[in-house]
Amino acid sequence: MIVRHLPRLGTAVLGGFGVLVVALSIWQVVLAAPLEARPDNPALIAAHRSQPRGTIFDAQGSVLASTAVVDGIARRTYADPASTHVIGYASLRYGTSGIEQAWDELLVGLRDPNPLQDIVNDVLQRPPQPHDLVLTIDQRLQHFAASLLGANVGAVVALDPTTGAVLAMTSSPTFDASLISGDPAAAEEPWLALQGDPNAPLVDRARNGIYVPGSIMKVLTAAAALDAGAITPDTTFPTQPEEEVNGMVVDGFVINEHDLAGVTPGLWDLSEAMQVSSNIYFAHVGLALGQRGFMSGAEDFGFCDVMGIGPGGHGLGVSASSVTPLTDAGCEDFVDDAELASAAFGQARVTVTPTQMALVAATIANGGVMMDPFVVRQVLSADPAGGAAQVVASYDSPGRRSVVSRQTADEVRTVMVDAVHGPLGAPYAGSANVALYGISGVQTAGKTGTAERGNDLPPHSWFIGFAAAQPGATPRIAIAVIVEGAGPGSVTAAPIGGQVMAEWLRLTGS
Amino acid sequence: MVLRLAGRRTELSLLAPVVLLVPLGVVVTHIAQTGLFETGPLAVAIAFAGLVLGAHFVLAWAGHLGDEMLLPAVAGLGAVGIVMLNRLPQDLAGNPAFDLGMVGTQLVWFGVGLAAMVLVAVGVRDDGFLRHYKYSWGLLGAALLVLTFLFGTEINDARLWIVIGPFSVQPSEAIKVMLVIFLAGYLAENRLVLAGASLRIGPLQLPPLPYLAPMLVVFAAVMLVVVVSRDLGTALLFFGVFLTMLFVSTGRRSYVLFGAILFVAGSAVAYLLFPHVAARIDTWLDPWADPNGAGYQTVQAIYAFARGGVFGEGLGQGLPVVNGNLPIPAVETDMIFAAIGEELGMLGAVAVLGLVAVVMTRGFRIAALAGDDFSTMLATGLVAGLVLQSLIIVGGNLKVVPLTGITLPFISYGGSSLLASFVVVGLLLSISHRSIPRPAAGDEDDR
Repeated sequence: MIVRHLPRLGTAVLGGFGVLVVALSIWQVVLAAPLEARPDNPALIAAHRSQPRGTIFDAQGSVLASTAVVDGIARRTYADPASTHVIGYASLRYGTSGIEQAWDELLVGLRDPNPLQDIVNDVLQRPPQPHDLVLTIDQRLQHFAASLLGANVGAVVALDPTTGAVLAMTSSPTFDASLISGDPAAAEEPWLALQGDPNAPLVDRARNGIYVPGSIMKVLTAAAALDAGAITPDTTFPTQPEEEVNGMVVDGFVINEHDLAGVTPGLWDLSEAMQVSSNIYFAHVGLALGQRGFMSGAEDFGFCDVMGIGPGGHGLGVSASSVTPLTDAGCEDFVDDAELASAAFGQARVTVTPTQMALVAATIANGGVMMDPFVVRQVLSADPAGGAAQVVASYDSPGRRSVVSRQTADEVRTVMVDAVHGPLGAPYAGSANVALYGISGVQTAGKTGTAERGNDLPPHSWFIGFAAAQPGATPRIAIAVIVEGAGPGSVTAAPIGGQVMAEWLRLTGS
Repeated sequence: MVLRLAGRRTELSLLAPVVLLVPLGVVVTHIAQTGLFETGPLAVAIAFAGLVLGAHFVLAWAGHLGDEMLLPAVAGLGAVGIVMLNRLPQDLAGNPAFDLGMVGTQLVWFGVGLAAMVLVAVGVRDDGFLRHYKYSWGLLGAALLVLTFLFGTEINDARLWIVIGPFSVQPSEAIKVMLVIFLAGYLAENRLVLAGASLRIGPLQLPPLPYLAPMLVVFAAVMLVVVVSRDLGTALLFFGVFLTMLFVSTGRRSYVLFGAILFVAGSAVAYLLFPHVAARIDTWLDPWADPNGAGYQTVQAIYAFARGGVFGEGLGQGLPVVNGNLPIPAVETDMIFAAIGEELGMLGAVAVLGLVAVVMTRGFRIAALAGDDFSTMLATGLVAGLVLQSLIIVGGNLKVVPLTGITLPFISYGGSSLLASFVVVGLLLSISHRSIPRPAAGDEDDR
């Protein structure tokens, strides 16, 4: 009798119902919160559409981003493409990025910095009150840095070492975010052009550009080794002069020195090795420090994990820098000592973001204490009665973390000053000396990098440094500069670094 | 007369809460949208109640003995549909020839559908015209399919519609019913002759030729639907109904497995050969690859479900229309389950699925109690059509299966779908009525 097959059929179809209920609970319960927070979620976009959005000011009060509501549609305009990446865009069509994304709820007014006020607003069903943001960015420095990068592909990150404030953060190539944040109908064409551009202008290279560091890594290697007691500034390695010529064999792998440009190898100490940027010397330092020591030293500086630029737990995301490929549990172990030796001078599989390397420089400048980087100085709310804006939240230096001892930081600072001012270092990092750019009486600390990429590609040009760097002086700016494929660090990145630091010292009255 | 109207008490008591849901829904929607408590929107509720209760009283008056839980279940689905369509902007759909707005037009189709249901339930006293002309019904269905291929209009990238004057008809709804009639006749006639026999080719156990032949024919037709109309859902529905009926007539899971493998293999070939099929599948697997283009509908539906959460945003409080654009394209038809998920939450969505499950169990009960093989096969196929269609489109909304252009029966906006679905209910009621042992002529007045 065919009827007996019906219950089995019914059970099978009920299984189908079960699958749908599982799917419902996945979308409506398990993944609901993350989906709601996605920037292309239309609920957020709808709230943005007709709503005034807070204004974004630089540290001097210049307007960087503002909104005008035209025909019921909020249109966002941006003052300067130099700040596009850090500020991001607020497109009705393509969502948000950068500060526009990270501080979205405040800018739109969906949330108040004061949780109690949030509850009051909710109960009274008040419409959202947009907040304005005052950034730590100085638009004058930002624009100056971007103009130095010019048509080059690269990034500049400048921090106040004593507070963690981001002074400038610019990525090149950039674009005019107003084009995709105005009329949604006109946004598609520029958006598609940006997406198709082989130079990837949508990527913020300052935070999310991942590069081989080359010799700028030696600053971190030196700091970690000094702090762990593996070396002192006077340490020498007896086999090093000979290995400069014939190569150094580690685990059967031959490490060769870069072209020393006529400098005769000697028995170098830390300062001399830093000045000529000796790969052999720092390979020895890495081996003296050991795989575990090098790894934990890098982790102390923030490697092997993602970062945020605050204030607060969330903010602008910074991609993880790593000494070996990343896994869910952090950086994986070194394969062997040959990899460690190469990593110690910034090759092998080390990758870094410009923001991370600016933080390394800032930490040395600040006596070994890393100040949490932050980009929003104040949150303002307009008085509902129409009065002047009120400061509802203010940040000076949101957090700090001791990375290396003051003594270590001082020793590294000394050799970084030598790298700019010393006789052996001047041909490399001397072009970063702020004295060349009209600032006298101030010492500059720095280190260049020339990141080899293999395959006959021109190397990336790196510089990290800070000023003022003489003993007892207050460091005012720390910087990281990368210019992609621009050859030796001394030629392109170091002069940009020196000019930006000099400009900042000039702007703040040295 | 009075005694007659007192019949079908179970149905009446189950319809009472269903009928009360609609005024509650439309008033809550009106308050949410305007902040006003007004009686105007109640017209929709009164019209709905009048139509449903009218159908009930005609059945009772006619002394219909068919299942009394089927109509309340489908009316419950209809009530959810009316409340949701009333909540959406009224200019989304609706026939300009009538000027009734979307929910008004839907109510007209509800009336037409319920009338057809009652006519079929009461009028079909003998199914001879179905079982004896099964090949004619099958050919008619095939002809309609070919007509749709030839003269169909593409809407939403699927060629499923025929436009006649001011009406656009979706023939696949009727084709589905004709396919079921044909298969019920064919399988009921052949199953006894062929019981146990099967075709073996090496290790593969295939259905015997009389099963295999129609299987391959239906399979070929279904593949044509995939390739020509670009609609995986309709194809899946047709083939699913066929496999369901094949299983019930033979009890052989291996045939279903063989059919399923055939379908998957056919789809894989279509995926490789036809770019538009491949695009559909790719969009299904990763809608976020093109969230503003091909994946837009699915991505927006998922956001709607996420907004709804467990309890929903509340009627009329979902995402507002943005500059005249709805957040979810086709929200009044294919995507209406996403709107239910958003405004009524997971609770409402599960309740809708529960009502579909009630339709299924009542349908299978009717099939089980039917007096003969043909009626059992017919009832099984008809109810499988309704339930599988619901599962496929809900699954499409939830990204469980590829999204396709079929309606959620009794809920989605659309005359073709409503009419066909109510005719199916009418046929089920008619089968149910005929399977009740007839009381002796004299007893009837004593009941």
